[in-house]
Amino acid sequence: LSSLPLQILLYVNGVYYIFYFLATLAMIIYKSQVFSYPDDLLAPDLTVLFLMAILEVPRSYLGFKGNLTEAEGPLGLSLGLTVGSVVLCVYLLLWQTYVLWADVLLNAVLLAGYGLESGLKVTAIAAFVS
Amino acid sequence: PSDTRDAAQARVRRAPAPVTDVARLCVCDLLVAQCDVNCCCDPDCSAEDFSLFTTCSVPVVTGDSQLCSQKAAVYSLDVEANPPERIFKLIDQVNPSIFCIHATNYEQALYLKSPEIPTPENFDQFIDKYGGATFSAEPDSWNLDTDAQNPPDANETSRYEYGLPVQTEDAFLRLPSPVVSSWCSDANPAGFLVNQATKCIRAVSVEKCDSIQALSMLFYINSSILAVPKSSQMVNITVQSIVVQSLDGMRTLLSSSDVLRLPMVLDELCINAVLGVNYHITHTDTGEIIEAAAAFVLGAISKETLSIEQSFEISFTQENTQPVPLSGNPGYVVGLPVRAGFQPQGYPFPAAFLSNKHSQLTILHSTSTQDCLAAQGARAPVLFGYNMISGCKLRITAAMKCQPLAQTLLDVLKGQSFPEYVASFGNSQVQDVLDWVPITQLLISEQMISHTLQSSCQIPVSLGIEVKWTKYGSLVNPQARIVNVTATITTTTLKQLRSGRERIIPVMSSVVFTDISSPAEPSYKAWPTIDIKLPFDFFYPFV
Repeated sequence: LSSLPLQILLYVNGVYYIFYFLATLAMIIYKSQVFSYPDDLLAPDLTVLFLMAILEVPRSYLGFKGNLTEAEGPLGLSLGLTVGSVVLCVYLLLWQTYVLWADVLLNAVLLAGYGLESGLKVTAIAAFVS
Repeated sequence: PSDTRDAAQARVRRAPAPVTDVARLCVCDLLVAQCDVNCCCDPDCSAEDFSLFTTCSVPVVTGDSQLCSQKAAVYSLDVEANPPERIFKLIDQVNPSIFCIHATNYEQALYLKSPEIPTPENFDQFIDKYGGATFSAEPDSWNLDTDAQNPPDANETSRYEYGLPVQTEDAFLRLPSPVVSSWCSDANPAGFLVNQATKCIRAVSVEKCDSIQALSMLFYINSSILAVPKSSQMVNITVQSIVVQSLDGMRTLLSSSDVLRLPMVLDELCINAVLGVNYHITHTDTGEIIEAAAAFVLGAISKETLSIEQSFEISFTQENTQPVPLSGNPGYVVGLPVRAGFQPQGYPFPAAFLSNKHSQLTILHSTSTQDCLAAQGARAPVLFGYNMISGCKLRITAAMKCQPLAQTLLDVLKGQSFPEYVASFGNSQVQDVLDWVPITQLLISEQMISHTLQSSCQIPVSLGIEVKWTKYGSLVNPQARIVNVTATITTTTLKQLRSGRERIIPVMSSVVFTDISSPAEPSYKAWPTIDIKLPFDFFYPFV
C-alpha cells in the first residue's frame, strides 16, 4: 500500500521547493546589489542553487512514481538524490558568501522537510520490500 | 647589512593593522596625548575632564549595522551625578530585520581592505593593473587621441585678439602708465586694439640723465614686435617723427627723424629726454601686426626739475582703411563731435554720403584778438550736448564793399565746408542714407526799425545752429538721436558809412541742443476681465 504521509510530504515539499528557489534567487540578487559581491564568489552560489533545482525534478518525480507504484527502485534512487540535495542545502546554509537570517530560516525548513521525507522513504522501502 | 635591509623592507611592507575592537575605537580622538573636548571615548581623558563635558559627540561605536548581532560600545554622560561622570557600556546590538547578515564567509565584505604597499617586486604588477587610463587622476589624459588635441591649440594663439598684450622679443610692448599713484610704472603692457592714452610722472635728475632708461628713445623702440604671438616674425618699430620741445614749451618738428637722439648732458641741461611717445600700429584684419611707428616728443630737463610728466599714446589702424571715430554707439555720447557729411554730386538719389575729418560741423572759435577777419580758419568742432557760443568783432570801414564783405562774413560764420547732412546716430554709417538728417538753412533778415526798404546791403551777423535731439530706445538706457538741425543766419542791414569812419559790429555764432523727447508715458496692462457664462442648458426644464 502506498504511504499516504509520504505522498503528502512529497507534494508539500515540491510546492515549498518552488517558493524556496524563487526566494533564494531573489535574495541572491538583493545581496549582489546591496553588498559587495564579487563575481568569483557569486558564480559558485548561483551554480549550487541551479544544480539543486535541476536535481529536484528527477528526485521529486522518482519519489512520486516509486510511492504510487509501490516500487522500491525509484524510491531508493530518489533517496540517493535527496542526499545530494541535502549536501547542497547545507552548503547554502553554511558556506554561502552572505548568509542572511532569512536564508537560515528557509534552508532550515527545507532541511527539516528533506529529513522527514528521507525517514518516510526508508519506512516505505522497508514496507515494499517485505 | 642585508638582513637589516630585509627587516626594513619587512617593516615597510606592512601597513598598521586595522583596529576592529569597538571598545578601543574612537573617531573623535584627534589630539595625540591630549583630551579632546566632548569626546567620551578618548582614552587620554581623566575623570575630571569627563565631569566638564556637556554631551558626548560620539554616543555609539558599532561595526557594520547590517549584522544580525554585533557588539556596540555606548558612551553617555550621567549629568544627574555630581560631578558628572561618563558611562561606558558594551552591549550587544541586535538588528531585527529578517535580511540581516547572519554570517559571512567573505571577510573583506565588512572591513576596508588594507592597502598593498608597493615594493620593488610587485611594482610592475601595480603599473599593469592601475596604470591605465581609467585609473588616471587627471581628466585630460583620458583623451586617448592626443594627436588631435594639438592642432586646435596651435590655431588659437596664432593671431592677436582684442586685449591680448602685444608681444615683443623680450616681453611685452610697454606703455608706462600710472598705477595706484601718479608715478610711472613700466610694467603696463599695451593691449591689441586697445587705444590708450596715459600720462604719468617720472622722477628724474640731470646727473642721472643718461642712466635712466625711460628717458632714452632706445628704451621704446629697442625690441621688435612679434607679428603674431609666439612666432619669430619681427616688426621693427620705426621712428615716425621727432618733435623737440624747448624749456618754455615751444615745439619744433625735426625734419629728419632717422638719427636716434639719445639723452646727454649739455650746459647743465639734460637734452633729448623723452617726454612723450605716440605709437601707431597697423594691423591686418586677421590680427597680424604689419607695421609699427613711434612719434617722439623730446625735451630738456633743467637742474631744478625733480620730476617730469610723460605722456604715452597708442592707436591701432587696420591696413588700407581710414578709421572713422564713432561719436556714440548707437546714441550720441555727450562731448563727442557731431558727425556730418555731404551728399556727393551727380547722384539722382543719395546712395551714400561723404564724411571724413574735413566735413565736421564746426563753429567759429573765438580767438584772443577777437578780430573776425584775422581769425579765419580757427574753428571748433560742435560737440554733442555742449551749447556753445562764440563770436568776434568786425571792423567795418567805409571802403569795404557790401558783397565781398557779406561773403567773407558768411565764410567766417559757416566755415570753408559747411556740411549738408548730420548723422542721426553716433554710429551712422555713410551707406545708410536714412540715418542722416539734412541741415535746414534759414535766413532771417533783421529789418531796421526805420524800415528802409531800399535794396540795402545785408550782411550776416549771426549763425545759430539749433540741434533738436530726442531720447530713443528703452527707458532704462535711452540713446540720444538727432532729429532736426536748423542753421539760422540772421542778416542785418549795413548802413553806408561816411568815409573815414568805421564801425565795429559783433558777429556771433551759437549752437544750442534742445531735448525734444516726449515724456515717457507709463502704460499698464489691461485689467483682466472676468468672463463668466452660464452653461447652455442651465435653466433646462424652463428654457
